[in-house]
Amino acid sequence: MTLVYEPGSTPAHRLDPRSKLLVQATFVAAAFVYTTPRGLLALSGLVAGMLAAARTSPLRSLWEFRVVLPVVLAAPILEGLTFGAPWFVLADAIGPALASVRVILVLLVTAAYVRTTPVRESRAVIQRSIPGRPGQFLGMGAAFVFRFLPVLQDDVARIRNAQRVRLGTERRVTERVRLLAVAALAHAFDRADTFALALQARCFAWNPTLPEVRFGPRDLPALALAAALAVAAVVGAT
Amino acid sequence: MSPSHLVDDETTVNVARAALFAALTGAFALVSVTVPVTSIPFTLQVLGVFLAGILLGPVWGGAAMVLYLAAGAVGAPVFQGGSAGIGILLGGAPSFGYLWSFPLAAVVIGYLVHGSTEVRRPSSVSPARLVVAMVVGTIVIYAFGALGFMYVQDVGPEAAVLAGVVPFVPAEILKLLAALGIVRSDVLHAG
Amino acid sequence: MIRTEGLVHRYGDVTAVDGVSVTVDDGSFLAVCGANGSGKTTLVRHFNGLLEPDEGEVFVDGDPVGADLVAARTAVGMVFQNPRDCFVAATVGADVGFGPENLGLAREEIDARVESALSAVGMDGRRDERIDRLSGGETARVAIAGALAMEPDHLVLDEPFAGLDWPARQRVQERLESLNDAGTSVVVVTHDLGAVADVSDRVVVLSDGTIAADGPLGAVRAGLEGLDVRPP
Repeated sequence: MTLVYEPGSTPAHRLDPRSKLLVQATFVAAAFVYTTPRGLLALSGLVAGMLAAARTSPLRSLWEFRVVLPVVLAAPILEGLTFGAPWFVLADAIGPALASVRVILVLLVTAAYVRTTPVRESRAVIQRSIPGRPGQFLGMGAAFVFRFLPVLQDDVARIRNAQRVRLGTERRVTERVRLLAVAALAHAFDRADTFALALQARCFAWNPTLPEVRFGPRDLPALALAAALAVAAVVGAT
Repeated sequence: MSPSHLVDDETTVNVARAALFAALTGAFALVSVTVPVTSIPFTLQVLGVFLAGILLGPVWGGAAMVLYLAAGAVGAPVFQGGSAGIGILLGGAPSFGYLWSFPLAAVVIGYLVHGSTEVRRPSSVSPARLVVAMVVGTIVIYAFGALGFMYVQDVGPEAAVLAGVVPFVPAEILKLLAALGIVRSDVLHAG
Repeated sequence: MIRTEGLVHRYGDVTAVDGVSVTVDDGSFLAVCGANGSGKTTLVRHFNGLLEPDEGEVFVDGDPVGADLVAARTAVGMVFQNPRDCFVAATVGADVGFGPENLGLAREEIDARVESALSAVGMDGRRDERIDRLSGGETARVAIAGALAMEPDHLVLDEPFAGLDWPARQRVQERLESLNDAGTSVVVVTHDLGAVADVSDRVVVLSDGTIAADGPLGAVRAGLEGLDVRPP
């Protein structure tokens, strides 16, 4: 399973999506400035709070990022390694190790956003913050990506299963990848064209009514947090 | 209420195709295949970048990758291994440099394949031209990728290349060959 | 009223619709049938200007379709075959609201239309559900709701019963009947006349892009032989 929105009514669900994006962005900025043991410890506490507000399990989220983790863990090891004695310089590995911790914290904050924010709210943020046709293109286009993703994931998974059964694993990897992509793409253009007709039948327009997003009193703590993180980042950087 | 300005037919079709290729790239990001001998797992995202550039051309191929980043930024699980979020695009994960290179790489590949913003039938393009386009695209992706890796993981260029480029070279060659096979096989009819 | 005059549509060398003149009267229930490739789908896609005629003209409520596409597409709602391919959003409410949003209506009006469209297809109170978790029949009804939210005077459905089991099919039939009773003209494209035998007051049979028969079911029944149409 991948990280997806789950309907709910946690405090994080009820925040305006813009507050959540601001917290994420300022969190990344602060994490870059305070990539020190004490800084990261404090930020970890903050992340624990955010995950609790989103009722998101840290372990489960980390499991969902398992593909990314090996690279994150490899970086400090590779940086510490040297050619010749003493082979491994601990001092060289400390910076990258702290950076890896930072990556994991950012991924967890991201997980909390994804779990608690429905597509239409995210689309509204894009359409409302980028004016005119570029905003409409990005907002609707991103919403269509959400719409197509599960269909294509199913396609790909089905094809892979069929390959496992019929071709076994002996076939050359290039051949397997090629067959998979051909099968996934076979209907891609037809599918896109049909979808385009459906959009036109419903008057797909450059200037639609946008979904509502509204700041409320409950956004104040989140906005205050974002402001504090931003100030901390600026102060720490200068 | 103001009168609706309809999106014209051609743009509607192109938006739909761009979104579809963005989603396809996202679906490929979840597929992990192991290269023989090295046994390093890799995902197929870059194949999506290749195909977007080759099949949609520089303009809409690039637009598809912009949608990919936008959708991922607001939570579609399309980045490597099903990750997502604005934090990743702001430098929160080592894949950040690679991701930002995708729109540029798709534009470059599309331009080199089609020679202009006009989209030609890809099966009519010579294999040599396709290979050159994809090699240049791959260099763009890995140059950005290694720089991003140095920045995010706080490592020097050697470690960035060792961890972020070298392991994936065999996989990139595989993907390039696969893309070539797909485009030449003519099962696809673009446009 | 929807009216075509000498409509011709070609795909390359193939003439899919070859000089069709047909009228859909207000409040009528019309079945368009014919074998695969007879031109049914191509014909109805001209009703709201999704295709442009190579020859001939199409009028919706007296005006040429191309003159005001927004007006034509608001007046003629269209539900496609395989509705699963045509949803634009992940949840029921977001999808049904897509058309009204494009019309630039106020948010309250959009909400009201989504509610009433869903209730017209018997899907009240399910706007927050995910579309990919619905059954086949529910999916079909949400697709109809998406067209109804535009408040069309005419509703065109392409093979709405394909792939539905009997109870689901009956529920869709009932909904179409009650919409028709309320004054909406309904056009159903099908290769299976049995599904609409009871409700349609007129059948147009297409063969190789031309009208092979046109009239009440009883009158066209004899002409269905050899046309690969499943009679009722």
